[in-house]
Amino acid sequence: MSTAAERAAQLDLVARLKSAYPELPDAPTPDLLDHERITAYLKPVHDVGGEPDAPMKYEDKQYELWEHMTYVICEVLAWRGIWLSEERRRIGNVDVGRAQYLGLPYYGRWLLAVARVLVEKHHIGLTELSERMAEVKARYGGGLAGKKLDATPKSQGDGSQVKRNEHHKRAVGKGDPQVYAGQAGQPKFKVGDAVVVRELPVIFYTRTPEYVRGAKGEIAAVAYESPAAEDETWDRPATPEWFYVVRFNMSELWYGYTGTTDDVVQTEIPEHWLQAAP
Amino acid sequence: MTDHGHDHDHDRTVKPMVDEITDFEVLEIALRELCIEKGIFTAEEHRRFTEFAEQIGPTPAAHLVAKAWLDPEFKKLALAEPMTASKEVGVDWMEPTGFGTPSDFTAFQILANTPTVHNVIVCALCSCYPRPILGNSPEWYRTPNYRRRLVRWPRQVLAEFGLYLPDEISVHVQDSNQKHRFMVMPLRPEGTQDWTEAQLVEIITRDCLIGVALPKAGVTTNVITDTRPAVHPGTAG
Repeated sequence: MSTAAERAAQLDLVARLKSAYPELPDAPTPDLLDHERITAYLKPVHDVGGEPDAPMKYEDKQYELWEHMTYVICEVLAWRGIWLSEERRRIGNVDVGRAQYLGLPYYGRWLLAVARVLVEKHHIGLTELSERMAEVKARYGGGLAGKKLDATPKSQGDGSQVKRNEHHKRAVGKGDPQVYAGQAGQPKFKVGDAVVVRELPVIFYTRTPEYVRGAKGEIAAVAYESPAAEDETWDRPATPEWFYVVRFNMSELWYGYTGTTDDVVQTEIPEHWLQAAP
Repeated sequence: MTDHGHDHDHDRTVKPMVDEITDFEVLEIALRELCIEKGIFTAEEHRRFTEFAEQIGPTPAAHLVAKAWLDPEFKKLALAEPMTASKEVGVDWMEPTGFGTPSDFTAFQILANTPTVHNVIVCALCSCYPRPILGNSPEWYRTPNYRRRLVRWPRQVLAEFGLYLPDEISVHVQDSNQKHRFMVMPLRPEGTQDWTEAQLVEIITRDCLIGVALPKAGVTTNVITDTRPAVHPGTAG
């Protein structure tokens, strides 16, 4: 049971959680938004490189048991063909939206991604999950009081009817990205080529960082073949392409760069995002 | 400093009077139970991966670098075929699934520092990190703060770790954001002539392999040592 005052207090707390431009009303009409702001709202939220921030104290953290168990469950789901790593990276790092991305602990997002993929791929019903959560919570009703945090499944399913991806079988003995080797033809670029990162429209997902889009760089390595993240992340048939490590001179990349003219940043970019520099 | 040796802000640490199970703990247990009941994975598979994940850490990486310092032929191998070299320090990148630890993929590269180049790694998109050979990443490596700033203000960030690089050394930031995983091979420091591999390993800390510190005779700990406490600590990491 909750009281009316408790319910109102929680709503007040939620109402103070902001993840929007403060100068705009909620759900603005189209005439209030320009291209830059729409791009900002649609930017995949994991792409934080180059955003200004003040120094903070860096510290370590003791590992929580549930964090370790979350890492394990994510990897076991990939091992057993429930999702690709690229699906996990999107669901947990981008699909969560800005408020949860910035507001929740790192492994909290991994864990929500597990729930999301199992529900979306019809392995678990959401009501079934909520009921089980309530049950687990009730099990520890008086606090842990010396009890261990433990999963106690009521049975063991045989799993033969569970829908699994091809990748978890195909990649065995090869690895990933090696499983895609030989499928992308000849690489378009070679080491030393000058390239410009294309400014493709971005919605939903990409791993080509915003901070290099439109910038000129140089091919530092022809890396491997793989489907681009935007295609692989939906686990649909996708054609592998070449990936390149691209080197950017930071004094040219960044306005007002204060280091030396030899400092560089390198990042990996799939071929369809690159064009030859003019 | 407080009486228990660290100075994190207790006021902001949530500590209930009753030792309650947290929201994330509830969700994790519920999901694991349902997965096992439905045969999505078995309890045995979960246990096997847990045991694998509990034994990873930075020690093999330190051995790899120490061996490379002592043996030029091994250094060549480490740079040309890093996953083959990893096997010589007990790390098989294809374990434990036959296609590796899925989040880390199986494309590994070692970035060798030179007298004029200093390498440092980051993943500006998430926290890509060479787990099989370095263990789990430290908490600060995963912060939006480190990820935002290192790709743009690397010298300032390195200075915050106490690493001040002269202009003659250029900074190479490697943003590992796709399937490659990277590790830094620092230069062997002065004052370590005649050291054994075991002695060298002591000064090759995790921070040196990320590139936020340089190995130094007599320094055997990471730069960042303050640690926030866990509500319910696990055994790994």
